Amino acid sequence: MPESTDPRELPGADPHTGNRKVDPVTGYETTGHDWGGITELNTAFPKLVIWALVLTFLYSVITWILLPAWPTGRDYTRGLLGLDQGVEAVKGFRDLAAGRQDWMSHFTGENFAALQSDTGLMAAALPAAERLFADNCAACHGVSGQGGPGFPVLSDGYWMWSGDPEAIAETIRFGINSDHPDTRFAKMPAFDWMERSDRSALAQLVADLPNGPVKRHSPAAALFANNCASCHGENGSGGLETGAPSLTDGSVIYGQDEQTVLNTITHGRHGVMPSWADRLSDAQINLLALYVAQLSELSNEVAQ
Amino acid sequence: MLKLHYNLEKVSMGLVAAIIVAASIGGIVEIAPLFTIDETVDVPDDLRPHTPLELAGREIYIREGCYACHSQMVRSLADELDRYGPYSLASESAYDHPMLWGSKRTGPDLARLGGKYSDDWHVQHLIDPRSVVPASIMPAYPWMTRSLDTKLLGDSLATLARVGVPYNAPMISEAAADAQAQSRPDSDGADGVLERYGNNVAVRAFDGDPSRLTEMDALVAYLQSLGTLTEAPYEILAEGDQ
Amino acid sequence: MTSTLSISERQIGLLLSVLLILLGLTMAAAARHGVMAAHGFMALALGLGLVFILGSAIYDPEPPKARMTRYYDAPTRFGIMMTLVWAMIGMGFGVWVAALLYWPEATPAVPWTSFGRLRPVHTTGIIFGFGGNALIATSFHVLQRTSRARLADSISPWFVLLGYNLFCLWAVTGYLMGSTQSKEYAEAEWYADLWLVVVWVTYFTLYIRTLARRNEPHIYVANWYYMAFILVVAMLHIVNNLALPVRWTAAESFPVWSGVQDAMVQWWYGHNAVAFLLTAGFLGMLYYFLPVRSGRPIWSYRLSIVSFWGITFFYIWVGSHHLHYTALPYWAQTLGMTFSVMLLVPSWASAGNAIATLNGAWHKVRDDATLRFMFVAAVFYGLSTFEGSFLAIRPVNSLSHYTDWTVGHVHSGTLGWVAMIVFGAIYTLVPQLSGREAMASPRAIEWHFWLAVTGTLIYVVAMWNAGITQGLMWRAYDENGALSYSFVESVEAMAPYYLLRTIGGALFLTGAVICAWNCRATMRAAMGEAADRPLAPQPAE
Ligand code: HEC
Ligand code: HEC
Ligand code: HEC
Ligand code: HEM
Ligand code: HEM
Ligand SMILES: [Ca+2]
Ligand SMILES: [Ca+2]
Ligand SMILES: [Cu+2]
Repeated sequence: MPESTDPRELPGADPHTGNRKVDPVTGYETTGHDWGGITELNTAFPKLVIWALVLTFLYSVITWILLPAWPTGRDYTRGLLGLDQGVEAVKGFRDLAAGRQDWMSHFTGENFAALQSDTGLMAAALPAAERLFADNCAACHGVSGQGGPGFPVLSDGYWMWSGDPEAIAETIRFGINSDHPDTRFAKMPAFDWMERSDRSALAQLVADLPNGPVKRHSPAAALFANNCASCHGENGSGGLETGAPSLTDGSVIYGQDEQTVLNTITHGRHGVMPSWADRLSDAQINLLALYVAQLSELSNEVAQ
Repeated sequence: MLKLHYNLEKVSMGLVAAIIVAASIGGIVEIAPLFTIDETVDVPDDLRPHTPLELAGREIYIREGCYACHSQMVRSLADELDRYGPYSLASESAYDHPMLWGSKRTGPDLARLGGKYSDDWHVQHLIDPRSVVPASIMPAYPWMTRSLDTKLLGDSLATLARVGVPYNAPMISEAAADAQAQSRPDSDGADGVLERYGNNVAVRAFDGDPSRLTEMDALVAYLQSLGTLTEAPYEILAEGDQ
Repeated sequence: MTSTLSISERQIGLLLSVLLILLGLTMAAAARHGVMAAHGFMALALGLGLVFILGSAIYDPEPPKARMTRYYDAPTRFGIMMTLVWAMIGMGFGVWVAALLYWPEATPAVPWTSFGRLRPVHTTGIIFGFGGNALIATSFHVLQRTSRARLADSISPWFVLLGYNLFCLWAVTGYLMGSTQSKEYAEAEWYADLWLVVVWVTYFTLYIRTLARRNEPHIYVANWYYMAFILVVAMLHIVNNLALPVRWTAAESFPVWSGVQDAMVQWWYGHNAVAFLLTAGFLGMLYYFLPVRSGRPIWSYRLSIVSFWGITFFYIWVGSHHLHYTALPYWAQTLGMTFSVMLLVPSWASAGNAIATLNGAWHKVRDDATLRFMFVAAVFYGLSTFEGSFLAIRPVNSLSHYTDWTVGHVHSGTLGWVAMIVFGAIYTLVPQLSGREAMASPRAIEWHFWLAVTGTLIYVVAMWNAGITQGLMWRAYDENGALSYSFVESVEAMAPYYLLRTIGGALFLTGAVICAWNCRATMRAAMGEAADRPLAPQPAE
């Protein structure tokens, strides 16, 4: 539009007089308006702002050219770099995996004894195992394998199945009572059909077990031999690799006070250890097995 | 330009119109194409909607504000894949009204949680997080042991069906019964749940007690379903293995 | 309140109150129990209270005719009171929530005291209760002064304020009872959302009608911002809250949006709640109270134009920076990132314009704690927008997202900018409304200022450290290429920062309580009417 020459119509001029006031501090003119005492200066537009706008716009244009940016209806501009964040992420993930291949690859094999004795390798691997254990297992077994309410201790050297890394790896891979088809299975049956007095007697006996071996020939001992020994062993020491815990060493899962044992006998137990086959790689599982296997050695060393 | 504005400033409805126009463009350009570009959401064939029990659990998750501390969105970053598993796909939340991607990780991401822990663990953790994770700062939810209210479930499924979630008529009419049945593996209705929602649905007494249907049943069923509704994200990661 | 209304206005008010009672009764009767019924009873109680107040004054003498030539300040005064009430509620809950993260057993494990329910009470209470009331109250004041016109009518300001506070009350009590849509900053259920639409339309109508009566051909910048705030918040609110109720009688609904579209709509809303509520609205406040308090002209009119349109246009694009690396398509993330960077220019232009306005008034900034509040607000506005644009860059966001860095950024914006500018405005406004020269206790303002600044710095610095530590721990790899830390280790590392944050927050809250006390003392010792009560003579129509 053609610029008017009437001073009253110029931006910032007082509409009646065409005059602008001058602010004594800055020396700039005001726009001539007054909103209940508020005025504005007609300060020239700072060049810096224009430059900043141009600069950030340039940055944006370059980015739009390089990266996916503008939708075009049913498609979008892909950008010269042709990036896809999913592909990038998988690539980055593979790079990470490749970066630890030099030591990680050893753990895909199953020669656990050889791995265990390779101290250099284990030194590189153990921090990784520790973190894996903390993120995946510690919620149940405690950060140092000390167990939890309903979850077995892994650091005391007593095993329901076996302390042998191969067997541990199998436990981790398939779980116990998990929904994996190859899961280990271990169930403490419910003895709710048994007389209550008999159950109480058994409970008393089991609660006493850590204090010494079973007194033979007592009625409770007979009950134990007939009903329990098949899984927990003659004297309750477990170790039959059936998943039945030892009842003599005080390192039980659920507690060994009379009340808890009575509960266990009455209702049975069916603890679940999840399967990790779909979540962790074979190498990670084997590594964890070795880590778990040496947890008890570590805690023995601490105790000494 | 200045002159133009100088005049615009005098017309209040002119300003209103200009503001509406200026503030609409960005939203339209960014939101509308999400509906028109096909590859935005590529719904896999095996994607199933939540069962009524899981949906009830989801409502509890929302009610308690779990989303304030937990994300359900594994970002496309190598370290997140390393820690949590395959990155989340848009299709995984295609049936989620609302989405629960979250914006804060005071606790870990839960997108791949299903199957990671046992039901028992969840029950204990929810009742008293510090009994299993001593360093946890998560709140305790002891009141989850109260009975689950299933009155609104049928209407909930029907409402979701109206906004596009594939719930059919039998699913809607059986909603409350299916919620009961999913927590009672030995009941007659259990097969119906599998028939309607597929065989990879977990049918268990999630809180350990099949005789009562509790909020705990619903919440744990929901937590165990996270990341298990489709195989698609796992397949993408496996593909690269070859 | 009633003495400023004419008898016929009181009658209309009475009618509206009866309608509110009916609404409350209907809700309570239809839902019978649960959250919606409880909310029905709240509406009922408010309606009954209003009927009582209006009814007992219905035949009191008419206010003098001359009132039409004066500004209408009673609603502003009420709005400021509500602002202060919500400040204490919102910040109180903030400190509570902060304490729970350090000490999770601080309060007993009953449903309504659990973190997940309290957190939205904090955010809604503080953003909508404190921020919203401050905006509505000051907008009434600014609108009248800069238009030299009385509010267009006397009923709708009350409807807006009371209706708005009923919404806030419904929202926060709903969360405590377990009713929420889970959409951040829009958690309130469907009927509260609908109610807010009614309130908002009334607000907009009142605003436009008053503006139409202005005695100044030009509309002042502050009003541009208030208008953008009203309009865009309406747009955002409606689209983001579109939902189907499960039943008309239940406080439960499902949003029509799902998955990735829902995420985009949510953060288009969420970010622009920041932009048009926590930024545009408060810029309107700044544009009025800063020149008034400093007695200086706005430094550059031309810069105001560019910042205003820059902010209005650019902000809308950037919501997708909340979804970097997520399942949102890459192209949308790129747009969010680039527009966030461009957005820095108009943002800093506004901050710069504000600070340059203080040229020639630096001695006042030194001596006057009220003006100092505004100065600090402008500085934090600049800081947090710079930080925001930085966080919006994808690689930076890969570290910061999900961590307490975001929370640090949020509170450098909300404590440093939003709350500071509100306090500056309140300390300017309250003496004026009370017909006094100054606040009851100028020393208390000094105390408040230093508590607020110290609290903010402790909070923000603690959260920066917390967030960056967290982000680094999550992605740290050892020399063997394995992740170094488990998640729980990062939780443990947060403890000292969470403690510090609680302390900083408590200092800030203490300042707010002092402010509330000071305002109450000032208003109680009111010396008549607002200092600028009489309108300039109206030109003949
Ligand atoms: C959800 C809880 C849970 C998690 C997580 C868990 N476990 Fe277990 N784990 C158990 C339970 C319960 C048992 C005992 C099963 C039973 O009762 O028979 C068990 C048993 C075991 C055993 C057998 C102990 C023995 O005495 O033979 C090993 C070894 C083991 N877990 C290792 C691990 C490792 C390694 C991880 C992480 C990759 C892990 N667990 C994660 C719950 C869990
Ligand atoms: C069929 C094999 C089997 C028989 C028979 C059996 N148990 Fe068990 N028992 C188990 C298994 C397996 C577990 C571990 C279950 C678990 O952890 O979920 C177990 C666990 C226990 C526990 C809990 C230990 C702990 O760690 O807290 C006690 C106590 C116990 N059994 C006692 C008995 C007694 C007493 C009897 C005889 C009345 C008995 N068991 C018979 C297999 C058996
Ligand atoms: C105050 C924040 C907070 C809230 C609210 C919260 N959590 Fe957590 N959550 C945590 C923290 C911290 C952890 C990590 C420590 C732990 O395992 O307890 C966690 C861990 C978890 C885990 C274990 C995840 C894993 O992979 O190890 C689950 C499952 C979980 N929370 C579920 C929930 C549910 C369900 C709710 C709501 C009912 C909830 N959380 C509410 C903070 C919270
Ligand atoms: C006394 C002062 C305050 C304290 C102690 C405080 C504390 C908190 C805490 C603990 C959180 C939760 C963070 C988390 O989940 O990890 C939070 C979130 C939030 N607060 Fe505050 N706050 C205060 C003041 C304010 C003010 C004045 C505002 C706004 C005007 C505000 C707005 C918010 C927002 C928007 C969030 C959500 C942040 C997000 O989701 O990322 N806060 N606050
Ligand atoms: C140029 C201006 C700004 C930009 C570009 C910006 C950008 C950002 C970014 C990138 C995030 C982090 C998103 C994430 O990773 O989750 C964020 C979060 C946030 N910002 Fe800003 N910001 C700006 C100004 C402000 C201001 C002034 C305030 C407050 C007054 C504010 C309040 C918030 C809030 C409340 C969140 C948290 C949202 C949530 O996750 O709940 N921002 N902002
Ligand atoms: Ca958030
Ligand atoms: Ca809502
Ligand atoms: Cu944002």
